[in-house]
Parts: sequence; structure tokens; C-alpha cells
Amino acid sequence: MEFVTNLILASVRMATPLIFLSLAELYSQRAGLVHIGLEGLAAIGSLTGFLVSHITGSPIVGVCAGAMAAILVNMIYAYATVTLCAEQIVYGMAINIFAPALASFIYRVYFGAGSELVQVPLMTNLSALLGINADSFIAKLFLEQTLMVYLAYGLVIFTAIYFSKTKSGLNYKAVGEYPRAAATLGINVIGVKYIASIICGALAGIGGAYLTTCYTTTYVDGNVAGRGFIALAAVIFGRWSAGGVLLACLFFGFCDALQIRLQVASFNVPYQFFQMIPYVATVVVLAIIGMKKAGPKSCGKPYRKEER
Amino acid sequence: MKNTSKIVNVMVPLVSVLLAFIIGCIIIAALGANPITALQALWKGAFGSVRNFGTTLSRATPLIFTGLCACFAYRCGVFNLGGEGQFIMGAVVCTVIGTQFNIEGLPAIILCLVAGTIAGGIWAMIPGVLKVYRGQNEMIISIMLNYVATLFMGVLFTDWMRDGSVPQTVAIPDASRLTRLFGLRATTAFVIAVVVGLAVYYFLFFTSKGFQLRAVGYNMTAAEFNGFAVKKYFLASFLVSGMIAGLGGSADILGTQFFLINGYASGYGFDGVSMALIGQLHPLATMLVAIFFAALRVGSTTMQAATGVPTSVSDIIQALVIVFTVAGLAMVKLPEFKALLNRIFSRKEVA
Repeated sequence: MEFVTNLILASVRMATPLIFLSLAELYSQRAGLVHIGLEGLAAIGSLTGFLVSHITGSPIVGVCAGAMAAILVNMIYAYATVTLCAEQIVYGMAINIFAPALASFIYRVYFGAGSELVQVPLMTNLSALLGINADSFIAKLFLEQTLMVYLAYGLVIFTAIYFSKTKSGLNYKAVGEYPRAAATLGINVIGVKYIASIICGALAGIGGAYLTTCYTTTYVDGNVAGRGFIALAAVIFGRWSAGGVLLACLFFGFCDALQIRLQVASFNVPYQFFQMIPYVATVVVLAIIGMKKAGPKSCGKPYRKEER
Repeated sequence: MKNTSKIVNVMVPLVSVLLAFIIGCIIIAALGANPITALQALWKGAFGSVRNFGTTLSRATPLIFTGLCACFAYRCGVFNLGGEGQFIMGAVVCTVIGTQFNIEGLPAIILCLVAGTIAGGIWAMIPGVLKVYRGQNEMIISIMLNYVATLFMGVLFTDWMRDGSVPQTVAIPDASRLTRLFGLRATTAFVIAVVVGLAVYYFLFFTSKGFQLRAVGYNMTAAEFNGFAVKKYFLASFLVSGMIAGLGGSADILGTQFFLINGYASGYGFDGVSMALIGQLHPLATMLVAIFFAALRVGSTTMQAATGVPTSVSDIIQALVIVFTVAGLAMVKLPEFKALLNRIFSRKEVA
């Protein structure tokens, strides 16, 4: 029984960074920008979050700084893909190579090459903030979480309402579907794409910073560990809707949690086989859902104002 | 006009390298070192002596393979980001055969290389088949398989094939190792890499199959309309690009690495992607970029020893080159830029 409750609690924790990253991808794709560089954005967010919470001692400031840093890096992507009309896939790849290199460089310069592992304090849980003693499973599930978890679920609800019920949300979606038609209706297509990039950068940065401010106390290169790409899969799996994306993230979070719990349980199997679970699950899920195309229609295509 | 666009295509990476180095120098200066001394040390470390040049070529060898792997797939319009996984699977199979099968010498080398090539090809067929028959995104799947391959390699060196107390596998016996070229660090693996590069170049640009493959990559719909079996080309390009990476993995194990260890081949896949993109999907240019990247890495060790600037500066420079090149290539395709070029050139003609 304890195995199951621990598993559920860990699933919620592991799903949170994926929710931020998938929402980042969702906001980007809804404006017609396929972003495969989330891995890189999360890496820079993770490093900045770590560094700033190390300096200021406040994980919340760290998360904000992580979001800012990822926005800055994503502005390079936005400029190249929106203004220069660079191929989005290729440029996302460039961000994936550039941002982690930058993060690892900053870490090495700041802490020195041979320094011992630096640790930062983690964000406190809501129950500790309120002074409530959470011992039952339900109390743990709903109260013993960091503020970031509540933020993630709040954002999912907001996104679901925004894209289906508000005029501005529908305008936003129009940019991803038929930018030319959107432009004739007076929507500033280029502007929406830049705003999308800011939102995407912020969310991806928060998702990365979650890893160093709420999950582990240290920063290591490659700590994002493919989550940026799993988030991409979650968006496809969730069929580009906020609710679907949430379910997909919970599923992938569950796989991640299962992997950790199985490692702790230590059967006579090399632990790497358990670590493969989230990655294999992603491949299997994508293979099963097959080829229904449901994404925004102009995704990946550059938009030029003057072109007819 | 065709000539100018060719010149522009060569100029963009060169200007990007220049810009990246300028920013690199600013970073070096900000770290309190003299950029000129640092760059001199970098140059000396990479090309200063025949021995250093050999080291550079040996570092370039695995990069050439992953670069060609990416290059070949993209020419056909499929994004195989799984070069790293395919490279590792080649290395894994090669290590298993080379250390467990009790064979040595030339037969072992040939068997290892062939088996590694096949392993890489099979590993690449997974995203290939899923893309063609399930319509799935090959990028995500090939990247997921990179992690699976890395973890599988981990199983070998920490558990199944662990050599005593250290987490690494037994080394390839001396008799099965590739010979060094003129006693340098570079081995015949480099020769194999160059041969593969030339073969890819010949295939893509001088055979009709290669032309059809490029046509599929250039405009899939048009190619399909002309009766090309697009799916077959997709599968074939996955297979071949995976085989190139797998061959690279086994050649690298037999040539310089000899055993599997934690962190081996990490980043080779994405390095390959960036080299192919900077080389604008031209096999020969990709090989040159690989040697340039390797020179940066080898030289940065000397630079660190001489000036105390950390080696990761070279990673930043490398990352900046790709960021600038891709943006630059997009920029020169903009109508505004073309108009500007036209104006400059027509003005010259008038004068």
C-alpha cells in the first residue's frame, strides 16, 4: 500500500515539470511555431534557477530568474524563426545545442571546474507554509506540494478556458491555423507569435527551474534528461488541448515515478532497465496513437506579411 | 545570380565562425585572460605539430560519422536526431563481439565493423518504420531511443560486462585494434570515415538514385507526384544513415576508445546535427566542419593549460557558430536581402 501511495505522490511531483514544458509547447504551437528546443530552454532555466536561488537563498526568486533567462534565449529563436523565417525545426535544434552549452559554461565558470557539489535549499511545501501537519494520504496529496504544483494545475485550467472560451484565445489559435485569414481580421500575427515565444520561454524556464528548486538540490549537466522532447510527445498525445496534455503529462510523470520507485525496490535487474521506462513509454504511446493529424494547420510554416 | 548565391552560401558559415570567435574572445577577455594568447594556444594545441594534428583527426573521426549520418538523412527530408543512439548501438555490438567471441586480428575487425554497421541500421529503422507506417514524429522517437541506447550501454559497463571494480567493460585486445597512421593518434578509422564521406558525396550528387533521394528531400509532394516511392526512400535513408553512425561507433571503439565507459559518445549525435547544418548538408563540407569542431576541442585543452580559460569556451564558440549560421542562411533567403545584393551588384556593373 505504501508503494502505491508513494508512487501516486511521486507521479504528481514528476508530472509537474512536464506540465510546464508541454504548456510551453502548446502555446508555441498554437501560434504556429513548432519548438523542439524546449530541452535547451529548460536547461538554461534550470541553471539560472539554481544559480539565483543559490545566491539569493530564495527558490521563488530562482524560478522567476529561470523564466527570465529562458525568455531571453527564446527571443533568439523568435527573431530567427518569425522575423528571419528560419526553419523552425532546424532553429529549435540550434537552441538545443546552444542553451545547454551556455548553461554548463556558466556553471563551470561560476563554481570552478573541480568544485564539490553545490546544493541549494528546496522550495517548502504548502503544508509547511501553513503550519498544517499532513499525515494522511489525501492531505499529503493536496497539501504537501510546492507552490509550483498548484501553479501548474492553475495554468492548465486557465489555458483550457483561454483557448476555448475567450475571444483573445480564439484569435491566438487563428494565428496557428490560418495566419493570413487572421491578418485580414486585423490580428497582429507577428505580434502574437512574439507573445507566444515569451510565454513559451517563461513556461519552459519555469519547468527547467522546477528541477533544481523543487526536485533535486543540485545542478548537473543534462538534468533535463529528455523532458523537453517528452513534453512534445505529451502535446501530440494530448491532442493539443490543455486537458489532454495534463492527462498525458500525468501518464509520463507516472512512468518516471514508477521508474524511481522500482529502482529503490531493487530487484535483481540492472537499474538502467527501469530508467528506460519513460523513454520506451513515449515511443510506445506515439506508436499506438498513430497518424491522426490534429495539430494547428500552419504549424512549422513561416509567415511573411508581404507574400501573396 | 547562381554564382552569387553560391558565394553567399559559403560566406555565411565563415562569417558565423568569425562572429563566434569574436564573442569567444570577449568571453575570454572577461575571464581575465589575453584573447590573443588564448587563441594562439588553441591553434598550437590543434595544429601546432604533426602529433597534435593527428590527435585532432582522431577526435574528428567519430564526429565525421555522426555528421554524415545526419547529413544523409536530412538530404532525404527525414530528421534523424538519433545518430547518438545508433553510434552507441554500433559501439556496443562491436565491444561485445570484440571482447566476448574469442576472435582476434583482421577477422575480428571485419566482423566487428560489419556487425556494428548492421546494429546502427537496425536501431535507425525503429523511428524509420514508425514514421512511415504510423505517421509518427521521427525526431521525438529517435531522441528517446538515444536515451535507451545510452542506458543499455550503462547496463553493459556497470553489470553484464563489467571489468572488476571499475564501471567499464574489458578492452578490445591489441590484435583487434585498428592500426595507427604514421604512429599518430589517428587510426585507419579516419581513413574509413573519409571513404564513407566520399561515397556519400558520390552517391548523392553523381547517381540517379542519389538525385531521386535529394528530390524527395527537396519536395516530397512533387516527388510523390512523379511516381517516386517516397516511403521507400524514407526507410532507405534511415537505414543508411543509421548504418553510417553504427559503423562510426564500431570504428571508434576499435580505433581509439577500446572499451565502454560512462559518458562515452555523449553529445556526438547533436554535434553531428550541427555539423551537417553548418556544412549545409554537403558531405564534404560536413567533414571539414567536423575537423574544425575537433580542432576546437583538442586546442581548448592546450588553451586551458596555458591561460586557465575553461575548455567549455570551445563549446560556446561551437554553439554560437550553429546559431549564427542557421539564422544567417535564413536571412540571405529573405527577399529584402536578395534585393540588397542585387542592388550592390548592379551598382558595380554600372561603375
